[in-house]
Amino acid sequence: MAQENQTPQQVEPSFEVEYMSRWKLIVRAFKKHKTGRIALVILVIFYALSIFADFFSPVNPYVQNTDRTYAPPSEVLWRVDGKFVGPYIYDVASYRDPVTYQRYYEPASVIQEITGEDTDGNAFSFSLDDPKIQNIFTRFESEIIAVGTEGERTLTKSSKEMKLVPISKKEILRQGGIDTVYNSPEDLEVYLNNPIYSYKMNRIGQLTEIHVDEGIRALNIEFTDGSKKTVEVGSIDDFSFKIFKIKLFNRGWEYKLFGLIPTNLHLFGVDSPAQYYLFGADAYGRDVWTRILFGSRISLSVGFAGILITFTLGLLLGGVAGYYGGWTDETLMRITEILMSIPGLYLLISLRAILPQDLPSHITYLMIIVILSFIGWPGMSRVIRGMVLSIKQTEYVEAARAMGYPTRRIIWRHIIPNTSTYVIVSATLAIPGYILGEAGLSFLGFGIREPQSSWGLMLTQAQKLSVLEQYPWLLLPGVFLFFAILAFNLFGDAVRDAFDPKGLGN
Amino acid sequence: MFKYIVRRLILSIPVLLGVSFLSFIIIQAAPGDFLDQFRMNPTFSQESIRLLEEKFGLNDNFFVQYGKWLFQMVQGNWGHSFQYHQPVFSIIWTRVGATLLLSITTLILSWSIGISVGIFAALRQYRPGDQIASVVAFLGLSIPNFFFALLFLYFAAKTGWFPIGGIMSINSAEFGFWQTIGDYLWHVVGPAITLGFSGLAGVMRQMRGQFLDQMSMDYVEFARAKGMPRRTVVFGHALRNAINPLITMFGYALSSLLGGAVLTETVFSWPGMGRLTIEALNAQDLYLVMATLLLSSLMLIIGNLIADIFLAGVDPRVRKRFQ
Repeated sequence: MAQENQTPQQVEPSFEVEYMSRWKLIVRAFKKHKTGRIALVILVIFYALSIFADFFSPVNPYVQNTDRTYAPPSEVLWRVDGKFVGPYIYDVASYRDPVTYQRYYEPASVIQEITGEDTDGNAFSFSLDDPKIQNIFTRFESEIIAVGTEGERTLTKSSKEMKLVPISKKEILRQGGIDTVYNSPEDLEVYLNNPIYSYKMNRIGQLTEIHVDEGIRALNIEFTDGSKKTVEVGSIDDFSFKIFKIKLFNRGWEYKLFGLIPTNLHLFGVDSPAQYYLFGADAYGRDVWTRILFGSRISLSVGFAGILITFTLGLLLGGVAGYYGGWTDETLMRITEILMSIPGLYLLISLRAILPQDLPSHITYLMIIVILSFIGWPGMSRVIRGMVLSIKQTEYVEAARAMGYPTRRIIWRHIIPNTSTYVIVSATLAIPGYILGEAGLSFLGFGIREPQSSWGLMLTQAQKLSVLEQYPWLLLPGVFLFFAILAFNLFGDAVRDAFDPKGLGN
Repeated sequence: MFKYIVRRLILSIPVLLGVSFLSFIIIQAAPGDFLDQFRMNPTFSQESIRLLEEKFGLNDNFFVQYGKWLFQMVQGNWGHSFQYHQPVFSIIWTRVGATLLLSITTLILSWSIGISVGIFAALRQYRPGDQIASVVAFLGLSIPNFFFALLFLYFAAKTGWFPIGGIMSINSAEFGFWQTIGDYLWHVVGPAITLGFSGLAGVMRQMRGQFLDQMSMDYVEFARAKGMPRRTVVFGHALRNAINPLITMFGYALSSLLGGAVLTETVFSWPGMGRLTIEALNAQDLYLVMATLLLSSLMLIIGNLIADIFLAGVDPRVRKRFQ
């Protein structure tokens, strides 16, 4: 029985080896490789994102917004006053801390609608939906009053006209004005210790309370025809902030799909002037997500372009050295030895130093690929040479030579195809090296330059520790780099297993 | 054995000559030279620039310059650094120390952990421990060095557990001997983990694979059938055979580490050879670049040689071939 059970198992592989082509067997072996399949899916997603980078980007990657330096990722909200309205964001207003000069952001928005009565008792109602109204500005006035045992005094009084109103001022708008009282010892301490106020504090005896009186005093309406109107606010009945809904298939900035078709369609986005920062902004206020997508075009393409050049060179020179032998072989091998004795990254940087620094961006890109390939070919051609040396001894090559085939034909038709398995497998495993090489060069400032984008270049901004600590989203390009390399490594492993003749046919 | 080492060293001389000539071509092919900054500066007269050119030997023709440099180099005079106004030799000497310290710490760290985890994983093939180890290995092989360094810095800055760069604390001059060592170890953790993580992953994978191969060999089966204790089979027989390919790998690891870890050194502001080379290349400090490139190539060659010697020490078959 045991023998009978074994027989069909032994027949099966031979059946498949006989009736399936080599490629079918390889594809079948690859399909069985689970991690390899996952890696392939990740790579396909990455490349799709990179090809359609403009479509997936809500904002233009090259436009700088200096008022949004290091803006945090936009907070997506779903409800307004408890009512579900779908995903939306608010615009942000940036402030600088007067003491630390640290920039911080607060969600803010413009007033969409406002109704109420002015100081004379006349009702007013303004809305941005009204085509005649261009902008609604608000005038906020605040007064800090110190109350003491012997009277009270105004410490400061300020008036600010704002278009972008922080959402935190919602209550003030609703009530028209708010008088906040601070009387805890800690709060009073802050005011007592402030030397600016000390003169005024002296006149009121013992400080007991601080009143911060803040309120909306006026609306300045700007009409589309250029005229302006000021309304002194008595009371506010109702108001609403403009919300920036995240729209699918939004019409945004203009670009050319595949560099040909002009369009402005994007997967998602918000109305201007708000900007939707999925991953936050970089030092120039550009969206990190968008820069990552555009950077992937460079980071993910250097690998393919690089191996193409390396393998052409490696096959050609290795093939020639192995086939002809003699002084050609000797010279080439000595050259490869010398090149391989210089640490790779130094050679890369020295070669980059030969080139002028101010080349146009696409030339720089090409040069980086050429330099990366220059580092790769010695190792490659040495392996190919070794393979050619052994293939040269085989009977079919001898036979081809005996039949009088020209050398070129023997090399290209008989020898090179026999190295194909090795070439394909090592090519997939070599790609991460090129991606890392480009990233490293750009990181050190020898590669891609601003305003172009590449993952390595983006990480340079994270190099300053004070910046990195506060804006950790600058590390995200590294995460993408990591996943791209991981996917290529897993994919390469799967390809190697699939090409392994031991694994085929079962 | 001694003869073999001498022959290898002699054979490396033409390679080093080639490296130096190639480096010289590359550096001279770069537009401009170190004196460009003075030429731009109107306070420098034509005369003083001419004198400087003469002093540095920059106005000779290319081959004369190379010949002069080579002649001086062989005599032990490595030239003067333009930017540091110091002999190249003394600058490099301080930097080589830092690079060597870092590489040795990294090697000890990654190889001791890598080999032991590799054996552990092989002995528990396909069990959870093995699977966790291989996932970690894949992560280690895929994470870019400088990204890992940035992550580590972020972690160090947030927790304050580790210093954020450099090789010694500012007040290290006051420390005693043990305190200095402690301070160094505290500083080296970041760069060593960064550099060691990918190496560790490679070692671990290789060790596991080799060990599994050896364990399925006939001689292991025979030894077990004979009733030899498991410990002797594993550590006395299988391990000794499995370790050979790793020693070749050790040579590559050593040479690549000695060649400098530019990116890691940059992120951690480690005063090693890598950063020195980059700075020198940027400033077109000709003789300093030449010396660093040549020295790192020499280290690469020596690293490979050391690996071969180790291999001979472990494997009697290789030793026999040398004699």
